Amino acid sequence: MNHGEAFTARGKGATIIRRVAAPAIVLGAAIPIYLLVKQAITPETESFAWPPFWLPHRITAAHLESVFTVGELRASILRSIAVALMCGVSATVMGAMLGYAMARSRWGRRAGMTALTVTRLLPMIAVALPLALALITTGLYDRPSALGLALVHSALAIPMTALVLFPAFLAIPLELEEAAFLDGASPLRIFLAIDLPLARGALAAAFILGFILSWDEFGFALLLQVTNRTLPPLLYYYTVFGDVGPASALALLMMIPAICVVVALLPMLRGALMAGGFR
Amino acid sequence: MERASRSLRIVFIAVPGAFMAIMMLAPALQGLMLSFDSCGPSLRNYDLLFGDPMFWRALANNLIIPAGSLALELVLGLLLALYLTSRPKPSGLVEVAAVLPFAIPEIVLLTLARYLFMPRGYVNAALTEAGFRPLGWLLPNHTLALGTVILVDAWHVTPVVMLVLMGGLQSIAPELYEAAALDGAGTFATFRHITLPLLFPSIVAAVVLRGVDALRIFSTTLVLTGAEGVPVLSTYAYQQWTDAQQPHVAMAASVILALAITVLGLATMAALRRFGAAEPVR
Repeated sequence: MNHGEAFTARGKGATIIRRVAAPAIVLGAAIPIYLLVKQAITPETESFAWPPFWLPHRITAAHLESVFTVGELRASILRSIAVALMCGVSATVMGAMLGYAMARSRWGRRAGMTALTVTRLLPMIAVALPLALALITTGLYDRPSALGLALVHSALAIPMTALVLFPAFLAIPLELEEAAFLDGASPLRIFLAIDLPLARGALAAAFILGFILSWDEFGFALLLQVTNRTLPPLLYYYTVFGDVGPASALALLMMIPAICVVVALLPMLRGALMAGGFR
Repeated sequence: MERASRSLRIVFIAVPGAFMAIMMLAPALQGLMLSFDSCGPSLRNYDLLFGDPMFWRALANNLIIPAGSLALELVLGLLLALYLTSRPKPSGLVEVAAVLPFAIPEIVLLTLARYLFMPRGYVNAALTEAGFRPLGWLLPNHTLALGTVILVDAWHVTPVVMLVLMGGLQSIAPELYEAAALDGAGTFATFRHITLPLLFPSIVAAVVLRGVDALRIFSTTLVLTGAEGVPVLSTYAYQQWTDAQQPHVAMAASVILALAITVLGLATMAALRRFGAAEPVR
């Protein structure tokens, strides 16, 4: 809403705060990211210097290159992308099913909300530990393909994708479905040929959110992929064991897609945030 | 029409429902059973758990950190939301910068936080250059480390609270502010009598949304201080699982956490419903 009056503090103090707030917020976001970039493009001796250098003295591309040349790193990047793609696709497919049921029946809406509440209440650790045991017995634990991790991520993402898709299906007029029904189309065919194409914008958003949820997720990845790591646990080990340069380069790489997505989908995220399925 | 698509709807609920049950609910129940198992049914795991002082520290931290973080998020989130919805409207760049800490993957933000707060990190460097003493921000078993964890946790999720509150602020009818201005109400009176009461449902939504989430804290303490520096229940369970090789004690700890979250979550929702506040989710 861009018109009319909003709550605005008046007076001299408020004016000063308003002057200071904008640069403070922008710098608060920019300085930490600048430091990360600096660490990624300078030799590690500069990052370990005391007092630390605020500006880069010598510049090197070694860390950024290592992201693409060191075998372990490259394998992790590919694995992370594969898991995120798999999560995006399967969470969108199953989220579309659940979201459609939510839009078309009271019962479905209750099922969707229950799924959401359960995923919100269950802590990661209470699922991940017994799941690790179950994956060990089924041979899916710590696979190079990270299939087990992709499956958990999909389950985590379903309530969120369903909630993004539910309003899109709700907005499709029932008259369209009725007309197709009178023409003799089956319910499944109606869903596939009428509802899905009309919801394609929301489907794309759901896919992207599912992808990013998996790309960012740390806890399950740490517990389920102990040697064949995806990017978040790999970054964790690099950070904790002091490989500043590669860690910073990796952090930059992970950050870029996530920032693009969140900024591009900001309006849509507000809805998904209210649903709370993001973390 | 209705009857014809009924079987389709059942399938559409059953497939994702069964999948989620297999991947999440079944393991959780399995964990519950294993927590009562120590070469046969027994309470030994819980006995070991309750006898470990580290567990009680983890439990205490697991209540202190979410409470502190939630309070900080609400204050910062409200200030940011008020600023970003005020007039003249701040530029889009400021909004993007305000959302950025949430847009960054959690592990990347924590990596950054570690570089900022480590003993020879940038924060201490800035303190030294300004003529102050460097501080042990992440010192294990120290109150300051608890504060650092709260600060970093709030840093990551304040944008969520901010976005929820911005939604609430934008739904307040502008006529009310015009009327208040005509009546000569000052800034504080307007805030106290119009903004705050009408924003209350959004504040409630933010508290429910974030409160449950905050209790699940794991990666913030793990990355910043290690599992034992500032233990919380999730990292305690992780440490029992990996270093201590006590998987069933780990499951007992995570059962306690799940129990705490469920009880606190349902109690909050019930209490808020009694106040007649709106449901956080439509």
